[in-house]
Amino acid sequence: MRFPLLPFAVAALVAVHFLPDPVSAQETPTITIKKGNSVTVALDPLTGGDGPGATKILQNDLEISGWLQVGSPAQAGYTIRGTASGGSVTGWVVDRGGREVLRANYSGGTRSAVHQFADEIVETLTGNRGIATSKIAFISNKTGRKEVYLADYDGANVIQLTRDNAISVSPSLGPDARKLAYTGYQSGYADVYLIDIPSGARNRILKYPGTNTGAAISPNGGRIAVSLSKDGNPELYVTSINGGGAKRLTRTRGVEASPTWSPGSDAIIYTSDNGGTPQLYRISASGGSPTLISTGHSYNTEPSWSPDGRRVAFNVKGGSGFQVAIKDLTGGSTSIASTGGSAENPAFGPSSRHVAYSMGGSIWIVDIFTGKRFQVISGVGNATQPTWSL
Amino acid sequence: MFFPFKTLFQSLIAAALVLVLYTGCETTQDEFVGVDGDFVTGSPLPERREGVSFMGGGVNRNQFAPVYFSYNSFEVPGSEDGKIVTVAEFMKSSPNDIIVAGFTDARGTEEYNRVLGERRALAVRDALIMKGISGSRIQTVSFGEELPAASGSSESAYSQNRRAEIGLIQ
Repeated sequence: MRFPLLPFAVAALVAVHFLPDPVSAQETPTITIKKGNSVTVALDPLTGGDGPGATKILQNDLEISGWLQVGSPAQAGYTIRGTASGGSVTGWVVDRGGREVLRANYSGGTRSAVHQFADEIVETLTGNRGIATSKIAFISNKTGRKEVYLADYDGANVIQLTRDNAISVSPSLGPDARKLAYTGYQSGYADVYLIDIPSGARNRILKYPGTNTGAAISPNGGRIAVSLSKDGNPELYVTSINGGGAKRLTRTRGVEASPTWSPGSDAIIYTSDNGGTPQLYRISASGGSPTLISTGHSYNTEPSWSPDGRRVAFNVKGGSGFQVAIKDLTGGSTSIASTGGSAENPAFGPSSRHVAYSMGGSIWIVDIFTGKRFQVISGVGNATQPTWSL
Repeated sequence: MFFPFKTLFQSLIAAALVLVLYTGCETTQDEFVGVDGDFVTGSPLPERREGVSFMGGGVNRNQFAPVYFSYNSFEVPGSEDGKIVTVAEFMKSSPNDIIVAGFTDARGTEEYNRVLGERRALAVRDALIMKGISGSRIQTVSFGEELPAASGSSESAYSQNRRAEIGLIQ
């Protein structure tokens, strides 16, 4: 089968891509920013006392971002400049005509300020959400027990969140990394705890009989989806953010696990083995009939729904254990995003193009559009089960 | 058109019965927002006894032999039935309650293993209920692939880790 119109379609797409966007032209009459999926930028080393360190952080942010390519000033459509000192950054971006398309001051420490600048560059030049200010939480056995840790998305500023000295697992970060839910065994049972990260306050919010686990905080921050066995079988429930008012969503002979929320907080994808092997299903957060999501794989667990709603990442068996698979919920195809060893517990980041997973005791990020991989957290014991703030 | 009428009549009777049973069962449960006609499973777990931990000193984990399971299965194998009988007989003559803890091998992902382990613990609980033990005397917990009985990645180690342990509350 040939596609005689393909060259014309490509030409048309390219032409549309390079046409000025009439809407943004109206909004900003003096500056027309051409938004695209890969914009080449040049990075002038940042000046000031903290310049060299800040430049390194920014370079790494831009490289991982995926939306931007760092090139020479001759190739670049924009040049990034800035000055960093005293924990603050003043950053600006100029186009080829020397006009400023972005200028802002950022504070909160050099790292944080640079990450804010990086996300604003991505947003301004491409219209996409960056990941530089996001956080990744994970589990490590560094102390000899499994505890919850929190880090910047690039692996900096690792802090140990729990000191339960029991088994603490299955973390889920809420929006803006303000809250974190996890499963802890301090009581001898599997309970769900909720940490308010800014204040450090922690509460045991689900302590029903049996096993309470897999809690996922909704993107609007208001609810929790969780697997509870209190009624005699592990089933899917939705509760308020503080664990109250548990509503049962499923009723099967099999087990339900690992819920993940839709961007609108109105639907949930989860794993169930009710059909014999673990498969992904989608259900409305207010109940109803679940729909099977066919993937072509017989083992489908640990799903993570992308914040743009278009994809779901999950584990399948393959390679030397598990692989990270990506199912396109709009187009329908399923692809494998991980290579090498056993890759577990995928978690989409706020960009909807980056997925974090654990492999060989480290946390990795894969850019599913380019296939580029970055080892972001390593040397913190055996790091597993990443969860990424949206 | 006798046949269709008869089946319709039967369906109506069945639907009415289901409705009566359903409303009868659900009055004390949390609101169920799923669909009618799904599977009705298990018996609700009894309230916890806070302070009693399967891993703590108040629970004897050596009184009974572990119940072993097949790969990715939560059915109690027929070959393990004798162990269930032993526990049931003991409980009939003893006031002590039990906690059943479910475990898996490491060949699944963590959260799926955690619920699979719980399902194994619940399968042992259901088997004991079938042998006449009150469900109110049996708590469950799952550790998933944590706390393996045998280390390593041999089939022998895996088969020892796919288990439910029965802890006697002292």
